[in-house]
Amino acid sequence: MNGVLLSVKNLKMYYPVRGGILLRQTGELRAVDDVSFEIKYGETLGLVGESGCGKSTVAKTLLRLYEPTAGQIVFQGRDLAKISKKEMRSLRQEMQIIFQDPAESLNTRHTVGSILEEPFVIHDKGNARQRKQWVDELLQKVGLPADSNTKYPHEFSGGQRQRIGIARAIALKPKLLICDEPVSALDVSVQSQILNLLMQLQNDLDLTLIFIAHDLAVVKHISDRIVVMYLGKIVETAGSDLIYKRPLHPYTQSLIRSIPIPDPVQRSKLATIEGDLPSAINPPSGCHFHTRCPYAKDKCRTDVPMLESASDNGEHKIACHFAGDVGLAI
Amino acid sequence: MLLRFSPLTVRTWNRFRSIRRGYWSAVILLVMLLLACFAELLANNRAIVVYHDSTLYFPTYGAVIPGRVFGLEYQYETNYRELQNKYTEEGSGNWLLMPIIPYSPYETTVKEGSYPPEPPDLSRSHYLGTDIAGRDISSRLIYGFRIAIFFSLILLIINYAVGIALGCMMGYWGGGFDLIFQRIIEIWSNVPILYVIMIIASIITPNFMLLILIMVLFGWMSMTWYMRTATYKEKERDYVLAARALGASTPRIIFMHILPNAISIVVTFVPFSIVSGISALTSLDYLGFGLPAPTPSWGEMLRQGTDNLHAPWIAISVVAALVLVLTMVTFVGEAVREALDPKKHAIYE
Repeated sequence: MNGVLLSVKNLKMYYPVRGGILLRQTGELRAVDDVSFEIKYGETLGLVGESGCGKSTVAKTLLRLYEPTAGQIVFQGRDLAKISKKEMRSLRQEMQIIFQDPAESLNTRHTVGSILEEPFVIHDKGNARQRKQWVDELLQKVGLPADSNTKYPHEFSGGQRQRIGIARAIALKPKLLICDEPVSALDVSVQSQILNLLMQLQNDLDLTLIFIAHDLAVVKHISDRIVVMYLGKIVETAGSDLIYKRPLHPYTQSLIRSIPIPDPVQRSKLATIEGDLPSAINPPSGCHFHTRCPYAKDKCRTDVPMLESASDNGEHKIACHFAGDVGLAI
Repeated sequence: MLLRFSPLTVRTWNRFRSIRRGYWSAVILLVMLLLACFAELLANNRAIVVYHDSTLYFPTYGAVIPGRVFGLEYQYETNYRELQNKYTEEGSGNWLLMPIIPYSPYETTVKEGSYPPEPPDLSRSHYLGTDIAGRDISSRLIYGFRIAIFFSLILLIINYAVGIALGCMMGYWGGGFDLIFQRIIEIWSNVPILYVIMIIASIITPNFMLLILIMVLFGWMSMTWYMRTATYKEKERDYVLAARALGASTPRIIFMHILPNAISIVVTFVPFSIVSGISALTSLDYLGFGLPAPTPSWGEMLRQGTDNLHAPWIAISVVAALVLVLTMVTFVGEAVREALDPKKHAIYE
C-alpha cells in the first residue's frame, strides 16, 4: 500500500485574540499558517520545530480538537474539516493521539482499567467481559504488568504512564497515530524504550505515524520523512536521510548543528540559534526567520518565500529565497 | 469487583482523620444528625413503649391512641406522663417508657402557682427550663436543630446542583453563554436578599419549602464562579483532549472527567455553606421573617432569650447550642480544606 493516507492542504489555524469589555476580536495568533503536507500509508512523518512553532496545534487540528480556520484535511478521501461532528466521532477510531506529558493526559481519578476501557465504552464495542479481555491484551502489548488495571496512573513511573497513554491510543486499532512529543517529558533512559515500542507497534499494527518533537535527534531515529516548521509555517521538508546530509534552510541547518555531539573536540562547533521565537500575533514581515537568520538580505525582509522544490523529484522542498546559495554553508 | 477507593481519596481521608478536632467534630455532628432524624424518640410527649394488660404499644410513630385504650376516662390522645404516674401508683405490672425529655416542642406545661418561663427543674424533667410559653427548651432545641440542619442541607444541595450545572456549562462552552451569565450573576448577586425575603414574608407566610425556594432563588450564584473557573482550567488539560480525541460526548466529558477533578473545590465549601445556611435561617427567624410560629426554631428562641434576660437559661441554652454547632461545622470545614490542600497532594515532576 503506497497510497496517501492523509493529505493536508493549506491548513490554517488562527486563534482569535480578544480584548475590551465585549471581548471583541482585536487580532489573531497564527499558530498554523498555510501548512500543506502528505503522509503515505505506513510512513512515519517527523514534525520538528522549537516550542511555540505550531507543531502541537497542527496535531490537534488534524484531530479536530481545534477547529481549523481554513484549509483541507483529507483523510482517506474525506475532508475532516468539513464533515459533521457525528461523522467525526466515528472517524476518531481511525486516528489517535499520544500526548507529551502522560501525567496530564491520564485522568488521575480513573483506574488504568477504566482508562483503557473507555475507548470501547465510547464506541460501544463488546460487553464487559470482552472489554476486560481487550484491556488485558492491551496491557500485554505495551509491556505493562497484568495487574495494572486496578491501579491508578500516579502509581506508575513516567515511562509506564506513557505506555498507558499508548495503550489507550491503539485500543481502537487506529490507522493514524499522532505522537505529540511522546518522549520529551521522559528520562533519556526511558525515551529509547518508548521509541522502540512505538516502532514495534507500528510494525505490528500497520500504523502510520506523525511524530512531533522539538529535537531532531529523536526524530532522526524514527522518521522516514521530516517536516521542519518555524512560526506556523513549513520551512523545509525532505526524506530524513537527506535532511541530515544536505539541509538547505538556514533554520534546519542551525537545528542540526545544535544537536549535541558526544565528542569534546567537536563540541566547540555546537551552534545555537540567536534570539527568541518572534510572536505569532505579530510575525515578522517577509520571511519569518529573517530576524534570526545569519544570511538575511533585504529581500527576506519584504517578500514571503514559498515552499518550493529544491530537488528534481520534488521530495525536498524548502521555503527560502536563497536556498541554493546558503545550502553549502554547513 | 470490589469497591476500591482511589489512593488519592484514601490519602485525603487519612489526612482528614489525622486532624483530630475536625474529625471528631464530624463524628459528633453525624451522630447528632442521626439522632435528630429520630428526635421523636428523644423528646416527645408520647411514650416509646407502653406495656398495658400484656400488650405492647409503640405510640411514637403512627396514629393517636385514645386514653380509653389504657383504661383512662377520655377519648382524646393519651397523656403519657399522667399515665406513667397512674401506673406507678397502681403497681399493677403495667409500665411505659418515656423519652429522655418527655415533652413535645409544641406543648405548654404550666407549674401551678407560677408563670412561665420556669428555670431548669430536673425533678420535672425540664432540663433546660421552659420558655415564655411554658414549652420545654431542650425539646425545642432538638427539633430546632433538626429543622435548621435539614434546611441547610436541602438548601445546599439545590444551590450546589444549580451552581455546579451552570458553572460547568459556563466554563465548558465559554463564549457568549459564559459572558451573558456572568453579567446576569453579577446583577443578581446585588439583589439584597434579606430585604427581598422581608418583603415576601410580609405578603405571604413562608413555609419550609417556600423559604428554601426563595433562598435558592437568590443564593445559587456563589458556586457558579468556582465551578466555572475549575471547568475552564480542567477542560484545556490533556486528559480532556484525550477523551475528546477518543470521541467522548460532552456529557461524558463533563461528568466522567471534569467533575470528578473539579469537585474537590466544592467539597471544601460544603461545611461553610452549612454554617451560612443555619445562620441565615436563625437570623430570619430572629427577625420574625422565617418559619411561622410555633415551629421550634433557634432564631425565635434567641429572640425570646434576648427579650427576657431575667430568664437567662433561655438565652444561654440557645447561644451555647448555636456556638457549639457552628464551631464544630467550622472545624470540619477547616479539616476538609486542610485535607484537600493541593500543596500537600499534587505531584510536580
